Amino acid sequence: MLTASIFIPLGGAGLLWLRRDMEPRLARLIALGVSMVPLILMAAAWIRFQPGPGLHFQLIESVPWIPTLGVSYRVGVDGLSLPLAALTALLFTVSIAYPVDLKGRAAEYFGFFLFLEFASLGVFLALDLFLFYVFWDLTLVGMYFLIGVWGHGEEARRAALKFFLYTLAGSLVMLLAILGLYLATEPRTFDMAEIIRQRPLAGGGLRASLVFLGLAIGFGIKTPLVPVHTWLPPAHVDAPAPASAILAGVLLKMGTYGFVRISLSMMPETFRRYALPLAIFAVVSIVYGALVALAQPNLKRRIAYTSVNHMGYTILGIAAAGAVVLGSETARALAMTGAIVEMVAHGVITGALFLISGSIWQRAKTYEIDELGGLAGRAPWLTAAASVAAFASLGLPGLAGFVAEFQIFVGTFAVYPVLAGIALLGIIITAALFLLMLQRLFLGDLPERWADWPRLERSERWGLAVLILFIILIGVVPAPLLAVIQPTADALIELLGTP
Amino acid sequence: MISAWALPLIPTLGAAVIIGSASRSAAMGVGGQAAAEPLEAAARRRLGRIAVGVALVTLLAGIGVAATQAATSFRWSDRLSLELASDGFARVMVILVPLIGVCVLAYASAEEEAAGLPRLLALLCAFLGAMELLVLANDFLTLLIGFELVGACSWALIGHHWRDRLGHRAANHAFLVTRFGDLGLFIAAGAAFSAGESLSFSALESLPPDALNVVAGGVLLAAAAKSAQLPFSPWLFSAMRGPTPVSALLHSATMVAAGAYVLIRLAPAFEPTGWFGPTVAGIGLATAIAGGVVAALHTEIKKVLAASTSAQYGLMFVAVGAGSAAASSLHLVAHAAFKALLFLGAGIAIHAAGTGDLRRMRLGSSLREVRVLFAIGALALAAVPPLGGSFTKEAVVDAASARSLGLGLGVLIAGLLSALYAGRVQLLAFGRGEAVARRRPGLGPLVSLGILALVSIALGGLWLPIGEELAGKVLGSALPHGPGWAVPASLASVATGLGLVWWLGARGALVTIGLRPWGERAADAWLGLGPATGRGIADLIERLSNALAVLDDRAVDAGIRAAVRTGSAISRLSSTVVEIRIDAVVRGIARCATALAYGSRMADDRGLDAAAEGVARGVGAGGRRARQLQSGFVHHYYVLLSAGFAVAVLVLLWLR
Repeated sequence: MLTASIFIPLGGAGLLWLRRDMEPRLARLIALGVSMVPLILMAAAWIRFQPGPGLHFQLIESVPWIPTLGVSYRVGVDGLSLPLAALTALLFTVSIAYPVDLKGRAAEYFGFFLFLEFASLGVFLALDLFLFYVFWDLTLVGMYFLIGVWGHGEEARRAALKFFLYTLAGSLVMLLAILGLYLATEPRTFDMAEIIRQRPLAGGGLRASLVFLGLAIGFGIKTPLVPVHTWLPPAHVDAPAPASAILAGVLLKMGTYGFVRISLSMMPETFRRYALPLAIFAVVSIVYGALVALAQPNLKRRIAYTSVNHMGYTILGIAAAGAVVLGSETARALAMTGAIVEMVAHGVITGALFLISGSIWQRAKTYEIDELGGLAGRAPWLTAAASVAAFASLGLPGLAGFVAEFQIFVGTFAVYPVLAGIALLGIIITAALFLLMLQRLFLGDLPERWADWPRLERSERWGLAVLILFIILIGVVPAPLLAVIQPTADALIELLGTP
Repeated sequence: MISAWALPLIPTLGAAVIIGSASRSAAMGVGGQAAAEPLEAAARRRLGRIAVGVALVTLLAGIGVAATQAATSFRWSDRLSLELASDGFARVMVILVPLIGVCVLAYASAEEEAAGLPRLLALLCAFLGAMELLVLANDFLTLLIGFELVGACSWALIGHHWRDRLGHRAANHAFLVTRFGDLGLFIAAGAAFSAGESLSFSALESLPPDALNVVAGGVLLAAAAKSAQLPFSPWLFSAMRGPTPVSALLHSATMVAAGAYVLIRLAPAFEPTGWFGPTVAGIGLATAIAGGVVAALHTEIKKVLAASTSAQYGLMFVAVGAGSAAASSLHLVAHAAFKALLFLGAGIAIHAAGTGDLRRMRLGSSLREVRVLFAIGALALAAVPPLGGSFTKEAVVDAASARSLGLGLGVLIAGLLSALYAGRVQLLAFGRGEAVARRRPGLGPLVSLGILALVSIALGGLWLPIGEELAGKVLGSALPHGPGWAVPASLASVATGLGLVWWLGARGALVTIGLRPWGERAADAWLGLGPATGRGIADLIERLSNALAVLDDRAVDAGIRAAVRTGSAISRLSSTVVEIRIDAVVRGIARCATALAYGSRMADDRGLDAAAEGVARGVGAGGRRARQLQSGFVHHYYVLLSAGFAVAVLVLLWLR
């Protein structure tokens, strides 16, 4: 089932690439239909998934691949990867449906989108480190072309190249670390579950530190943490909006996913030692990301920097969960649960925000906040959607972000009270920047030139409505999501051991 | 048995119904011509009936919940759940909130401008729902949710006139200041959970002293910000940009009341800290006096009332700090009734005079019935017996003077100021004059004012022994009794205040109190606090954020760019080397092929010629393509990849 959800999009991509002269409408329909398959399969996986105590993977599908190296094709889910894979499927379907400037190359565009979906689902579902790395690098290729070819502005190619090289450099460092980890296993294996059981490099030492550092650099660039975040804003600004939604909603999660799945699970002893520095990087990202976002006059840059801020919350939660000596297990499990919820919440919320910015670009061909204004009069539904998404992003209760951030703060407070206190300042700055954004975009007088602002298309309304629905559902009734995540969070805390 | 969830849910669903029942353009108050079209009278009445009906149903549900003391919870996960309980003072509040709501909604649906009316009514209903949730909260998670939601509702309501730039700036100010306070609840929740693994209020008793200190500090921060105490008071001035019914609800039974309410609810648990009570009382007294001065000096009717709100909540803080939550709760109830009355009356006055400027009102001759109703509110604010407001203020005086002489005297000064600004606003707004009302209120608004006036009068029943006994029973604690001098001294201070009003009025100096123009400027700037907290902090953050943005572009990214430049220089170098080699090889092959072809032409001029030339062409083309490949991004990939692998091998060799 999981295998099908990974490879059916690849098949769709192949089909679209082969028939490149396909009509845009048909290409969109095919892509949409294909992307529905993983979505339905993920819903089925969600139903079949049995949340239970302990860290064990479910719905495993496994085929030997390179037995001599201990590499196999192996996929499966737990309470960490299932929500992320489901989020991936959801965001891809909505993003594919969203209107965008196809530059006359519809089939190729949708082909790359499906290819990216294939690679992204692969990253989250892979249970083999080698496979994980392969999928990880394939996502770079897919995103590179989406930004470079369908991006807007003169800078698109440069931004795409910067994104590609920067994250590729990160992934190479990560590859080294993965190899280091692999060489420490006995018997040699890339099987994630087996490595987690073996705990290689548990003795610490220089090698463990280097491997940890390599992983942290690779994942840190992807997340991104300050100071290795500067690839993100240009990539976002020049990417087409649906690709931005995927970049922020899905690709960034790979970094935080890697921190939990690999750094924390496979080397818990080393993670414990480096939890504090990681938490400090997280807090810097939170406050710095929020402050820099506040000064951005460009809508997309502003949202991009809030991603730095929000992913900082996630890392803070993960780091607090890993700080075994301090804080009770309950509080750390709360922080971990919050961090995982934040990945999902940020995916939906920021996905919605970037799609909204895409709707604005489609109509105004600008992202400069000061050139817009007063749109509430012409575009009430866009205003409503943007308000919900912005308030969700600034952490208003009743919406998804709060469920995550509350747990992260409360959990972290038990571990690093001072850091949690500083991080709290982030939420007040985020509030300011989103309120100012709403004010300048939608309130006040409508400039003359936007007097005939077109209404939202049906695909835009549906796409946003679905995301907003999930934002509210997670915010009001988080129990079903927490029921899946929490047992895994508990198991991770157990894995980290006691002081 | 009615579930406590009904109280937040009924108004929230009601809000959805109101939005749904109005046409889209009317709902949002948007669309060029559509906005100008007046809402038909029938549609307006229908909306009003729905909104008031929602509040009435909530009121009935509130009575039911209070009677049964319903408690319930909503599970999030094994560790988190929302706990609702209706005990103690919450039983009074769940009724008070929708009661004020009924009056305010009735007023708003009749008096407010048609553009955006459905949105206004819906948001007011949602506001009631959020406040009910806050009131019922029995743990920090639910309390925080309530705090943040009332803040968000206030934001939308204050910025109701969304085309007005100053309006949303004011809304942002209010939201950010009170949200800064909400951070205190985040801290309180964190501290409570880290020490006791529970967010429930009942777990506060067993917290260790350190944690209790932090929790108490966090709660105080949140309460002071919400209740517009020093140094957060100026946000209430900003909130005045909203429509009058918004102010009426915000000041009396919702947003601002949340701060005092949470202190009433939690202060007893914080007593072991030792510092909590005196600090709360100190903040409260300072605000009561400063707010009193501002209210006595300001010349805009809504801002006078806003400053008086800060001052009156200051008195509630004093009572809590002095250890009498009961006195504080009673004053909260009385204040809710008379402040809602005063704001609605002020709204009528503003509509009638076309301005909020107290120097241009004196509508008493023209609006007699409003004048009387407003006077009941003003007298309650001034604490003139036998109105309810006077009993509750005496209770505060008793509580304060029982604690210490200084606190008692401070409250007497605050009481004198209350009488002064209450009398002043009454005379300036509704004193006899030639002004003719441009617009007269309908029956609905007058009934609203009448109900609130009746409540204020009825609360005078507290002066009777039976009333006091009943209050003690409901609140679960007896009312405080101060030293014998307290009540006479307090009445004397009220009389002095009113006497001052008369004296100033007789000399025609009521507007400026002889301090013009210095006094007016100081009052408008909230004694200098407004610019300091608002602009000062905002400017600081803005400058910091701009500086960091520049830094981010120039410095942080510059390091990366330098690395990339170095990298690409190396890769250019290597690619030239590689390219030259590949080129050479390709050219060599091509040359060989040509030579071969040439040779073979000698041998077989016809047969092999075509084939050889074909090979040569093919190889040549292959070479060109290889070169293209080299100059694209791909070679970066390979260079990086091979460099990476080289380093990998080295590291691994070294580590083995």
